[in-house]
Amino acid sequence: MAFRSNDGWQESAFGALGRAFATFLVIFLLLVLSIFPFKIGHVGEIRPSFILMAIYYWAIMRPSTLPPLGAFSVGIAFDLMAGFPLGLNAMTLVVAQWVTRTQRKFLLGQPFAVIWMGLMLVALGSGLLQWALYSLFIWDFELSSIRAMLMSVVMTAAIFPLIVLPLSAFNKSMAERD
Amino acid sequence: MSSRRPHKTVLQTIPMRTITTRVTPAVLVLLAVTLMVFHRADMLPVETMRLAMTDKMAPVMAAVSRPFVALTDSFDGVATLRQLRAENIRLREENAKLQQWYESALKFQAENQSFRDLLNVKADASLHYVTTRVVSDPGGSFVKSVLLPVGLEDGVAKGNAVMSGHGLIGRVTEAGTRSSRVLLVSDLNSHIPVIVQNTRTKAILAGKNMDLLKLERLPIDSGLSVGQRIVTSGDGGQLPPDIPLGTIVEVSKDGIFVKPLADISKVTYVQVINADADQSLSTGEISSPQSNMPPKRK
Repeated sequence: MAFRSNDGWQESAFGALGRAFATFLVIFLLLVLSIFPFKIGHVGEIRPSFILMAIYYWAIMRPSTLPPLGAFSVGIAFDLMAGFPLGLNAMTLVVAQWVTRTQRKFLLGQPFAVIWMGLMLVALGSGLLQWALYSLFIWDFELSSIRAMLMSVVMTAAIFPLIVLPLSAFNKSMAERD
Repeated sequence: MSSRRPHKTVLQTIPMRTITTRVTPAVLVLLAVTLMVFHRADMLPVETMRLAMTDKMAPVMAAVSRPFVALTDSFDGVATLRQLRAENIRLREENAKLQQWYESALKFQAENQSFRDLLNVKADASLHYVTTRVVSDPGGSFVKSVLLPVGLEDGVAKGNAVMSGHGLIGRVTEAGTRSSRVLLVSDLNSHIPVIVQNTRTKAILAGKNMDLLKLERLPIDSGLSVGQRIVTSGDGGQLPPDIPLGTIVEVSKDGIFVKPLADISKVTYVQVINADADQSLSTGEISSPQSNMPPKRK
């Protein structure tokens, strides 16, 4: 309260810092989830794209959470951690965020089923872009990778409602701080 | 408004928000393409950047994964009494068979050693093993690699073979101080020189981003059949020879496919094999019986 009455700029600075830190924590958790060695049954062989889900959701619900440079940095970190060609995930995440933002006005007022469908399309587009870029990078256009990519898209779509719950709670807490 | 003020430049008439929402992503996409091109042309120290990051992340991942590993182990350990009894009977039978093989192996080892002594044969490079747990597995659709929390400090080096309990699963492609990345045999970039164990036919075992691996560059009419075992040939000096890899499970017009001995998607613990370099081979020194002793590790 003292900040509010006397030092408004300090409160906003601390608030911005807190929001940035909270976003970093969520991204870090999603990165860990993306590279964690799940070995229960068949879980882990093909992984859903956790980071894409968050980027898609924020691009619609709260674009200020992660600017394009943020999406790019997350992609670079994931490329380095997971052994992808440098720039591959950075590019697909930036493009996915870009495309989603262009459709934001349409998606904002839609029921969840439409947003869900939108995610499927974005995930499919991202997967195809990744396959094309990776195939060009190694110069080997192996079709079996497309099958694995499609499975990943299906998993991403299936898990999206579960990821939306904590992301929505995160958005609410951020909105209250605003 | 802007049309009434012609002295403004074109850039000034574009709202700042449009610049950030349209221009920034375009610039970032261009930057990403540039990074990929530079990476492909080996003009970026990507390996150094990767290792700097994985060296810091590997201990974090190891700590984070500890409770999950305990959970996974307990999940795998759940079994009914009936299953345990059946497993016990199977293990007893297997143990009896292995006991016979052990006796034979000891006999062959002694015989082999006496032949080596007679012929003064230079022994293969000695092997050192480092056992560890997988701490990161992106499980991606394209890249098949895992991260290990061991590196140069633990005697792991680039090119080392990595095995699970049953067979080869990959090789170390990047080795940092405290972490190393293993390219799995199922990755599209994996091409391993192998031989068919009983016919000694040479081939290349290529990863195809699926459960089965494909035998390539086989001689015409190689006459291979289902059930034959595939082991590393040691050609190229990257991997030690005779490490088991898998068995042929399909011979068709699409090619010859091999099923790895290890279930690569479920590997939790691995052994990194470090073959000490044989100094005499590079210097041309003639081996003596004393030089067959395993070299000391630094």
